[in-house]
Amino acid sequence: MDRTTHVDQHTSQRYSAELEGLRSSVLSMGGLVEELCRQALEALVRGDAELARKTVKADSQVNEMELNISAQCIDILARRQPAARDLRMVVGIIRMVANLERIGDEAAKVASMARKLADDRDRQTYLSEPKHLGDGVSAMLRGALDAFARLDVEAAIDIIARDPEIDREFKTLTRLLMTHMMEQPQRVKNMLRVNSCARALERIGDHAVNLCEEVIYLVDGNDVRHLGVEEIKLRHRGG
Amino acid sequence: MSKQTSNKATAAIRASLKKRYARERRFQWYGRLAVLTGFVFLFILLADIVGKGWPAFTQHYIEVSVNLDPEVLGLPPNATREQMFTADYLGAIKSSLRAMFPEATGRKDKQQLYRLVSIGAEYDLRDRVLKEPQLIGHTSDIWLRAHAEAGSYLKGQVTAETAEADRRVKDQQMGWLDRLRADGRTESRFNTTFFTQGDSREPEMAGIRVALYGSFFTLLVTFAIAFPIGVAAAVYLEEFAPRNRLTDLIEININNLAAVPSIVFGLLGLAVFINFFELPRSAPVVGGIVLSLMTLPTIIITSRAAIQAVSPSIRQAALGVGASKLQTVVHHVLPVAMPGILTGSIIGMAQALGESAPLLMIGMVAFIMDVPAGVTDPATVLPVQIYLWADSPERGFTEKTSAAIMVLMGFLILMNALAVYLRKRFEMK
Amino acid sequence: MERVEQQEPVAGSKGDAIRPPLDIQAHSEQKDYETIGTPFVTDPKMTARNVNVYYGDKQAITTISLDIGRNEVIAMIGPSGCGKSTFLRTLNRMNDIIPICRVEGEFCLDGDDIYADDQDTVLLRARVGMVFQKPNPFPKSIYENVAYGPKIHGLAHSKAELDEIVEDSLRRASLFNEVKDQLDKPGTGLSGGQQQRLCIARAIAVSPEVILMDEPCSALDPIATARIEELIDELKENYTIAIVTHSMQQAARVSQRTAYFHMGKLIEVGDTKQIFTMPKHELTENYITGRFG
Repeated sequence: MDRTTHVDQHTSQRYSAELEGLRSSVLSMGGLVEELCRQALEALVRGDAELARKTVKADSQVNEMELNISAQCIDILARRQPAARDLRMVVGIIRMVANLERIGDEAAKVASMARKLADDRDRQTYLSEPKHLGDGVSAMLRGALDAFARLDVEAAIDIIARDPEIDREFKTLTRLLMTHMMEQPQRVKNMLRVNSCARALERIGDHAVNLCEEVIYLVDGNDVRHLGVEEIKLRHRGG
Repeated sequence: MSKQTSNKATAAIRASLKKRYARERRFQWYGRLAVLTGFVFLFILLADIVGKGWPAFTQHYIEVSVNLDPEVLGLPPNATREQMFTADYLGAIKSSLRAMFPEATGRKDKQQLYRLVSIGAEYDLRDRVLKEPQLIGHTSDIWLRAHAEAGSYLKGQVTAETAEADRRVKDQQMGWLDRLRADGRTESRFNTTFFTQGDSREPEMAGIRVALYGSFFTLLVTFAIAFPIGVAAAVYLEEFAPRNRLTDLIEININNLAAVPSIVFGLLGLAVFINFFELPRSAPVVGGIVLSLMTLPTIIITSRAAIQAVSPSIRQAALGVGASKLQTVVHHVLPVAMPGILTGSIIGMAQALGESAPLLMIGMVAFIMDVPAGVTDPATVLPVQIYLWADSPERGFTEKTSAAIMVLMGFLILMNALAVYLRKRFEMK
Repeated sequence: MERVEQQEPVAGSKGDAIRPPLDIQAHSEQKDYETIGTPFVTDPKMTARNVNVYYGDKQAITTISLDIGRNEVIAMIGPSGCGKSTFLRTLNRMNDIIPICRVEGEFCLDGDDIYADDQDTVLLRARVGMVFQKPNPFPKSIYENVAYGPKIHGLAHSKAELDEIVEDSLRRASLFNEVKDQLDKPGTGLSGGQQQRLCIARAIAVSPEVILMDEPCSALDPIATARIEELIDELKENYTIAIVTHSMQQAARVSQRTAYFHMGKLIEVGDTKQIFTMPKHELTENYITGRFG
């Protein structure tokens, strides 16, 4: 049963169009958020203060999109009283949008730290690990959005399964930074900044997991929040 | 583009509007004309009947000084009632008339003189004398019933303008009547005879009482048979009977029966009820049975239609609270259908009231003077009476015919009014 | 059956022939199918097993089995002609009055076979009351409407007792306060919503155990509908209610369980919450989300 083919099969064509519009709005918001993450990471790695500044500024665009999509959702709820798959789609999107907005905030946080770290001459000594972490998180985010675009539960579960790896990397990075701080106390300030970047990236990973959970909800109808990967897999097969 | 087409369409519609409205107006005028024509014909018919029939409700009387000489009457002194009953009152009237108009001497003149008063006058006189025996031996002014021909002259229906040969009231009689009128010895009274007497050879003596009773008894029998059977049959066919070939056949037959000419029912009545079952001839009971056969299909068909028209939701509601089928029908379906059933039945009865052909076949066309006391006594009915009178050549019967038609129509209107009243009453509930 | 229709197209089936084939038809052709979800409950009030209903040659219901739980409101939904009303009417044998209708299967009310030879339909219909699509009060007074059932069943032994039943029923139908001064006025003079509540009062006056409602609000405005729904909610404390409705929102609002019918088959039964958020069968999903052909 291919669920995506049914989106345009409502008796009311307009309803189908509204739902489709909502979905593409979320995808374009996701695209924007993904771009912000990429830019923030690049600004951090390249020490590009100008790019960092632009990224921080672009976050307001994300906020605007969030408001816009929420309004669309409320409109559909009020006028169409969606049920079943459509209801889950709308409710899932409301929650996804909140997650996406927070990802935007985290990206802005990374960017603002990147601006402050831009004139540190010893950047190369600690940046490779955050870059690796950031690449992993970006991949997760992209994967989550892809899973949403294709309503692919298997892919979503794969993404969720990657989260512990990210957490491990973050912990390793924290330990590494602490070593740096102990060795070079004068760099504590910058190290803390790097740490909060890493923390923000790790949060983005968590939000990506949330996005995947919503994808599973709106496809399968299972609310898998706060569950382990194994349990999620079990429920997916059961449902 | 779309605006242009819509404008074009508007223009086309506007162009056709005038024509369409004109057609509608024209049609309305046709309709009004049709209604008007109908009313005009109805009015002419009614006016004709009422105009002709109205005089029948009055009867002229002539005051004659009757010399009740016991000798002329052929009565011994201290006569018994029986003797008084058989006395020669006609002779007394004749001699009194001769005394009033001594110029009538010839046999023909005398005959004309006697024909001023009705043949029934002697009975009127007899009754009067029996009531007041002290009148015997005296001369007193007594009102005697005028002969129908004399009456028609007094009513102004016949005038001297008509050639004498073409009228039954002769010039001489007119002269006498004019004298009587001048003396104040003529009087017009309400014609009670018309309602209290049976048929008679003499128009001034003829009444519709027998026909009224006959119609009443006949309808009573018809209603008593046709209504319960008709309603029961309708209820059974509509609510209980299974739908199959047999019930279809029955339905078709009932519908066909309604279209059978009524005289066929008369033939059936003659063959079956009179010849085979040997029921009395000319009796309302046979007429009632025959008419009930004729009315049954009407009652069944209208009752079924009325029952069918009851909304199925009421049936469902009753069944839904656990009423049995019979309870559903009796408590809910019949009360709602009753106005329709009654209307249909009363229309059927009205049909029966106006029916004459089948009754002719079973002998209710007889000349009957005695008022029937029950459904087995010979009687006639109003339409047959009308038919009989319409055949008589006398002027007096022409007006009686119309008067009887008026009475018949009065009853028909009354029955229809009853139908309307019952419908309204039941609908209130 | 398909083939028969093609050979001799009846006037009524013309529309069916034109309609593009749905994927449902594959489903309807197969003889055996399984109802998804939970058609059976523990301690049911009524049970129906392997129900088949035919109107003449036409099969209206195909092998449906369903339980109706005690003191629950079960909603039956589905597109027009799906057999939901027909099924509802089998539960108090209202189909008996249609001569060409034939019912097969086992039905029990508290373990009694309601289609048994010695089962009296009068008694059954007193136990399983019914409220119809169109408000259909008798053309009699409000009092008479409610008193009729108790009267014919001999439930009241005195006028006072009857008065009490009438008042109590009207109160339960939350109509008493509106009509207490006009009990002798004709029931047909009330507004549509009041008439329908009068019909509910009439149904509960004979103390039924189950009340069947066949689209009770389809002729009412939203406010009257809301009052009836409120009433259904109160009534479920004492009665078991099965309601057929065209309004999915209504089914979602009033019922605890929902059954989805499709072309004479019971496709899915489940908790109303589950049916309306994550139905399992595609046909159910398509119907309640408004996707159809």
